[in-house]
Amino acid sequence: MTREEVAAVIKKHILDNLEDLEENDINPAKSMKDFGANSLDIIEVVSCSMRELKIKIPRAELADIITIDQLTDKFMEHIT
Amino acid sequence: MEKIGIEKINLYGCSLCMSQTDLAVARGKDPERVVKAYMIDTRSLNPPYEDTVTMSVNAAKPILSEKDKKDIGLLIVGTEGSVDFGKPISTNIHEALGLPPNVRNYETKHACYSGIAALDSAINWIAAGLNQGKKALVIATDFSRKHFHKDHEFVLGGVAAAVLVSDTPKVVEFEIEKKGFWTTNVYDTFRPSAVAEVGNNEVSLYSYMDALEGSYLHYVSNVGEIEFDTYFNKNIYHLPFPGMSFQAHRLLCNLERPRKKSEVKESFNQKVLASLTYAQRVGSTYGASNLVSLCGIIKSADDLKPGNRIGFFSYGSGAIGEFYSGLILPEAKEIVDSMKIDQALDLRRQVSVNEYEKIENLRESYIENPNFKPDLSVADNWYDAFYKGKELLVLKEVKDYFRKYDWS
Repeated sequence: MTREEVAAVIKKHILDNLEDLEENDINPAKSMKDFGANSLDIIEVVSCSMRELKIKIPRAELADIITIDQLTDKFMEHIT
Repeated sequence: MEKIGIEKINLYGCSLCMSQTDLAVARGKDPERVVKAYMIDTRSLNPPYEDTVTMSVNAAKPILSEKDKKDIGLLIVGTEGSVDFGKPISTNIHEALGLPPNVRNYETKHACYSGIAALDSAINWIAAGLNQGKKALVIATDFSRKHFHKDHEFVLGGVAAAVLVSDTPKVVEFEIEKKGFWTTNVYDTFRPSAVAEVGNNEVSLYSYMDALEGSYLHYVSNVGEIEFDTYFNKNIYHLPFPGMSFQAHRLLCNLERPRKKSEVKESFNQKVLASLTYAQRVGSTYGASNLVSLCGIIKSADDLKPGNRIGFFSYGSGAIGEFYSGLILPEAKEIVDSMKIDQALDLRRQVSVNEYEKIENLRESYIENPNFKPDLSVADNWYDAFYKGKELLVLKEVKDYFRKYDWS
């Protein structure tokens, strides 16, 4: 799976979970919090994305991630 | 083996509350979104003359008859909001409740797991037969600290729960050999000083989810193959805030087989929603969480029947997850109803955001303060209007650090 495909899955779940957000609004260099996400929204996006990508990462490893790009990179490390 | 479980139970959800909608408006947030995400309608608030000691006593006093007091051989109090680093509040509580001297007492600490750690110890004491016919009084009592203008200002609150644990249970019987644990070392939320409550919300939620998965799988490995949907009639999850329970239930549903959000929602409404009844009114339930949810589910789940199995998940930052189970007993509803928990919550005075800020500033100024008399005038002289003559325990004075409690 390519990085673009992983990024697309994350983007889809961000759009599903955050209201009033258009695809073009999402800047992957920023944090989901910059687009109005609360902690529960972030957990939801991460859990749904991992499920769709069929990857399992100890969630504590995700703690220091800030931007959507960093999340994509972390997921790529676990994609076989 | 004999039955061991909860014979009596009660909650004390403070005497003041604040509307989550009011707070959201004051902080410039969308109230509808805040209420929907966290699933809190009101949060409990203590006046400055209440603390974890008074909350404990005010929760426990209504459940104890004079005979019960004589029957108690063990008192354990779980809290992360103790008023002293050495002297356990269980000693203040022991005196106020008028318990006999031949009682072992101590305090447990493990963030929000403290109450279940206390409950576990009481159950094990009875299971080992060392109780010699005596009962245990277990109390979980916690209250949040001041967090103006922070994200987590919307997930604060306070409540105490008191349970009488014995080998003649009437509310719930625990399946004491069915347990699962999961421990890790993490700094998710912690209280490194008497005023600070710090951490990272996402780290804590991730850690919670890991602990849920880890302790549930350990439970399954101890119990044998089970079908999640049919094995548990109801599920209770630790509630840092009630909205977390949907994520928790979704995790366990999907562990068994991946399913759509709508299907999880249906299961959640049937098996979990009723447990949130009281948590939605008091806010964060800390160490009392599982017990607050138990009262909620007994009170509100119309389809709950004796013999129904409840799956419990307790979480303590730091961190531990414990998954355990219990069976509902025939007198559960009658006992919970008799405590009139709803009516007590209805009597709380709703304060404005301004009043809340004043009270929280005042409470913070009392922490580590060697000499003060708590201000009785807050919230429009609420002490005179509500407390006077009600025989609730209140903090009267702190003098050279000695704390004096008395009945209102």
